[in-house]
Amino acid sequence: MTLNLRTKKIYPTGYFIKYLYKMLTLWTRIVQASFIFLATESIGVLLDPCGHISPESPVVQLGSNFTAVCVLKEKCMDNFDVNADNIFWKTNHATVPKEQYTIINRTASSVSFTDISSLNTQLTCNIYAFGQIEQNVYGITIISGLPPEKPKNLGCIVNEEKNMMCQWDPGRKTYLETNYTLKSEWATEKFADCKAKRDTPNSCTLDYSPVYFVNIEVWVEAENALGKITSDHINFDPIDKVKPNPPHNLSVRNSEELSSILKLAWINPSIKTFIGLKYNIQYRTKDASTWSQIPPEDTSSTRSSFTVQDLKPFTEYVFRIRCMKNDGKGFWSDWSEEASGITYEAKPSKEPSFWYKIEPSHTHGYRPVKLIWKTLPPFEANGKILDYEVTLTRWKSHFQNYRVNDTKLTVNLTNDRYIATLTARNLVGRSDASVLTIPACDFQAAHPVTNLKAFPKDNKLWVEWTASNESVNKYILEWCVLSDKSPCIPDWQQEDGTIHLTYLRGNLMESKCYLITVTPVYDDGPGSPESIRAYLKQAAPSKGPTVRTKKVGKNEAVLEWDQLPVDVQNGFIRNYTILYKTALGNETAVNVNSSHTEYTLSSLTSDTLYMVRMAAYTDEGGMYGPDFTFTTPKFAQGEIEAIVVPVCLGFLLTTLLGVLFCFNKRDLIKKHIWPNVPDPSKSHIAQWSPHTPPRHNFNSKDQMYSDGNFTDVSVVEIEVNDKKPLPEDLKSTDLFKKEKSSTEGHSSGIGGSSCMSSSRPSISSSDENESGQNTSSTVQYSTVVHSGYRHQVPSVQVFSRSESTQPLLDSEERPEDLQLVDNVDSGDGILPRQQYFKQNCSQPETSQDISHFERPKHVSSVSEEGFVRLKQQQISDHISQSYGSGQMKMFQEISTADDFGPGTEGEVERFETVGMETAIDEGMPKSYLPQTVRQGGYVPQ
Amino acid sequence: IKIELLGILSPLLILHWEHGTGSPLCNTPDNAPCVLDHPCDSNIMTQIRSQMGQLNSSANDVFIAYMGQGQPFSSDVDHMCGHGLMSFPPFHANGIEREKLVELYRIMVYFDFSLDDTLKFQKTLYPNDQNLHSKLKSTMDILPGLLSNVLCRLCSKNNMRLTDTIYGLNISQENVFHKKKLGCELLLKYTQLIPYLAWDF
Repeated sequence: MTLNLRTKKIYPTGYFIKYLYKMLTLWTRIVQASFIFLATESIGVLLDPCGHISPESPVVQLGSNFTAVCVLKEKCMDNFDVNADNIFWKTNHATVPKEQYTIINRTASSVSFTDISSLNTQLTCNIYAFGQIEQNVYGITIISGLPPEKPKNLGCIVNEEKNMMCQWDPGRKTYLETNYTLKSEWATEKFADCKAKRDTPNSCTLDYSPVYFVNIEVWVEAENALGKITSDHINFDPIDKVKPNPPHNLSVRNSEELSSILKLAWINPSIKTFIGLKYNIQYRTKDASTWSQIPPEDTSSTRSSFTVQDLKPFTEYVFRIRCMKNDGKGFWSDWSEEASGITYEAKPSKEPSFWYKIEPSHTHGYRPVKLIWKTLPPFEANGKILDYEVTLTRWKSHFQNYRVNDTKLTVNLTNDRYIATLTARNLVGRSDASVLTIPACDFQAAHPVTNLKAFPKDNKLWVEWTASNESVNKYILEWCVLSDKSPCIPDWQQEDGTIHLTYLRGNLMESKCYLITVTPVYDDGPGSPESIRAYLKQAAPSKGPTVRTKKVGKNEAVLEWDQLPVDVQNGFIRNYTILYKTALGNETAVNVNSSHTEYTLSSLTSDTLYMVRMAAYTDEGGMYGPDFTFTTPKFAQGEIEAIVVPVCLGFLLTTLLGVLFCFNKRDLIKKHIWPNVPDPSKSHIAQWSPHTPPRHNFNSKDQMYSDGNFTDVSVVEIEVNDKKPLPEDLKSTDLFKKEKSSTEGHSSGIGGSSCMSSSRPSISSSDENESGQNTSSTVQYSTVVHSGYRHQVPSVQVFSRSESTQPLLDSEERPEDLQLVDNVDSGDGILPRQQYFKQNCSQPETSQDISHFERPKHVSSVSEEGFVRLKQQQISDHISQSYGSGQMKMFQEISTADDFGPGTEGEVERFETVGMETAIDEGMPKSYLPQTVRQGGYVPQ
Repeated sequence: IKIELLGILSPLLILHWEHGTGSPLCNTPDNAPCVLDHPCDSNIMTQIRSQMGQLNSSANDVFIAYMGQGQPFSSDVDHMCGHGLMSFPPFHANGIEREKLVELYRIMVYFDFSLDDTLKFQKTLYPNDQNLHSKLKSTMDILPGLLSNVLCRLCSKNNMRLTDTIYGLNISQENVFHKKKLGCELLLKYTQLIPYLAWDF
């Protein structure tokens, strides 16, 4: 033991560790093996199903029926106390209705499905263990799909030097893994199958090289879980399905001898060694897009070169070639790479276009002429043009030669006629000469073309015209862009004399207005040019017209606008559209002819804001200009004048008529407005006696006022013995009193104390005086002193007067009278004095017209104005005397003939009536009743 | 030139025919009927001629490619390669079609085996000579088709099923030089014979 230990001790440490490691590894492996063994046993027990489903892996055709059977194991049935009655089926975790179950026996139950439509269905057989616990017994997956269809359209192609590939149409989708196998065989030998790849089930490429000239039979076999089907067999020689490689190394070279040919050469594909080939050769010019093809019958045999003819000189051509089996079986190869070559030069085939322009600057006897010509297009130049030769001939004798590299030449020519010729030269030769006649200065151009038209078509601008009856050598077409911003820089082209329709070959732009001029060229010189405007393609204007108002009326507005500049027109302006509306109204559109530049909007509403916008239309659309607003006025122009002027005229006419009327009726007016006041001084006191009986019939006014110059005289006596308030009409009188009181200082005193014999104050005195007056009913009014008038000697009479407050009119206060009154006043009523009755001269008409209650007031006013009017009357009388002495004479006669009594009497009679009415109406005591004045006296009542 | 060459080669073919390279059996030994998987094409003789032409078009290239390997064969071909192949099958150009087809079949089988051996040797000896390899391969690809057509023709028309054993060149035991020499002799023979056969068919 010790030894062993020793022995063990003598083991090196490293060895011991290695030993332990080995032991540990061994035990680890044992444990792992034991675990795996036990686990496997356990899983085997656990995974042991209670039954199984038959069939295990069904593949069902879509739409077909399917039945599965679940068979339980006896052991399981005993353990879980179940039988086939306890089986229930599930598909994708959904329980299958029991109607689809069939109990076959105690251990087996089947389920049936009709019209399987799901591609993958999980079907499980389940039981309720111990009647409650749901437990899965077994499960299968039902795969559904379709059997393959018969492949159709099988065809093969043999790409040269590659393996043969066959294609077919696999038919409908099967939803199952379907294998397509291409089978092939000779009559004596079968070949290996070619299995189509999963992603390309419609083609397969054989593994072996095709063998030509041996018929091979090919077919396709399609197979999946639901069936296998074979396509039709095709039998062919692979050489008849060959697609050769394209010819290569195609080269092109020209011939100096012939400028119209190019020689092609190529290398054929190797298959050409044992089959015949035919070719397609195509060519085009370098700038062309379409190919021309050599006739196939010319290239139907194997060859490696070909000469292409009938080509244009000095033109670059591009070629390509392809080939196929010459019997037409098989496929065309791909096109070869393109090769190009240029045909050799030839002399220019046509003379250059030739024209001239006479420069505007003339010197004496000479004119600068600019000869211009066009470079020949390549198909006419037939080579590189080296230079141009210009010859100028004057009268067939003297000529000048110019060799020019440019395309223009300016020469100073005399005013004579010249013949200019032009030729173009290239490496091979010269073109024909282009001849142009430059007429003399005095040449008159004539014979223009007619019916000149220009129209766009196929993105070209075509020009058409009708030739004149003269023989035309050629036509010169010139055109330029019309612009307001840049000058017209013309381009030009030449057409043969037989051409009547051509298109402009310049670089034309759309939406530009071109001015096209056609000039016929005759033997003796150019004819008259004709011009027309045209667009290659019209567009809507770039800007719309700017509209403005020219005149705005109450119900109309005249709009005006400028024609659009040609730069923004972009086409022919066909019409304008004016849109106008109010702030809230609908927009109204008006179309206006393009020739107009103004338009009148009518039926507008006055005093309304209008917004106007205007569009100009070409054939391709329109463009609106800026909006413009204006407001219609409230009144039309002259409307106010139309109202005011007639009114004024009417007023003036009325006034004039009134004046005329007044003039015609001046006597009547005078009578009523400022009647002639009888001059009391001319009266005869003797006639005033109250005892003097009336002499006239007062009712006969005509007799009284035959001349109309004599007015009424009234005396009103108002008895103030009643303390009752005054009626309204008399209040005015009261007011009058007050006024008189206020104006007493300058009162004339005629109607007042100044005329009174009594020393008592006049009616303008205080109320105390008035109350004093109430006590006496009658007072002496005046004493007429017969001092005589104009040296007459009157008889003295004493008149008693009532206490009337009726004032005497100031109008009576003539200067001489006033003076007289003053004298009387100064005499303080002691001296005999002249006294006048207040003559009712204060506008008798007014007194008659106005209401009775206003009368006192008018009396007052008259008293103030009467003086003035009296003055006027005096002036008028004075004028009347000067102009109508006869009339005045009549007045004097009447006055002096003491016949104004009747007029006065009549007036008094009316006044009396009024006064009576007032008294009756008011029921007042008639203390101051108007007194009836009879001519020649005054009788107190 | 080819016609003249063919006229010279015809007696040579007969002279070089040896017994042991196969016996021209025209019928199946058990008299079993000849069965084809599908009928032969009606113009199968044309196809045979085309195949001969196809071989003829490439034969010279194959030989040139072989000679491209250099000396000593390229300098004196006739001396080095013109006297071998004593076991080459005979061909009688004046025979009937059936006999000619049978002889053609044997010749082509001979070439097929021999070229296969040669290609294998060349691939070992000159693995980078793809030109020669591809040409040999192309030629060998044609031969099965030709043989199939011949068999189909013999079967369909003459009810013949060829079952005789034909051997090609046995170069496995030779040294490298001799192998190369045999290859040269084979291709020279091939180049000389194919035009003649192509012409005759």
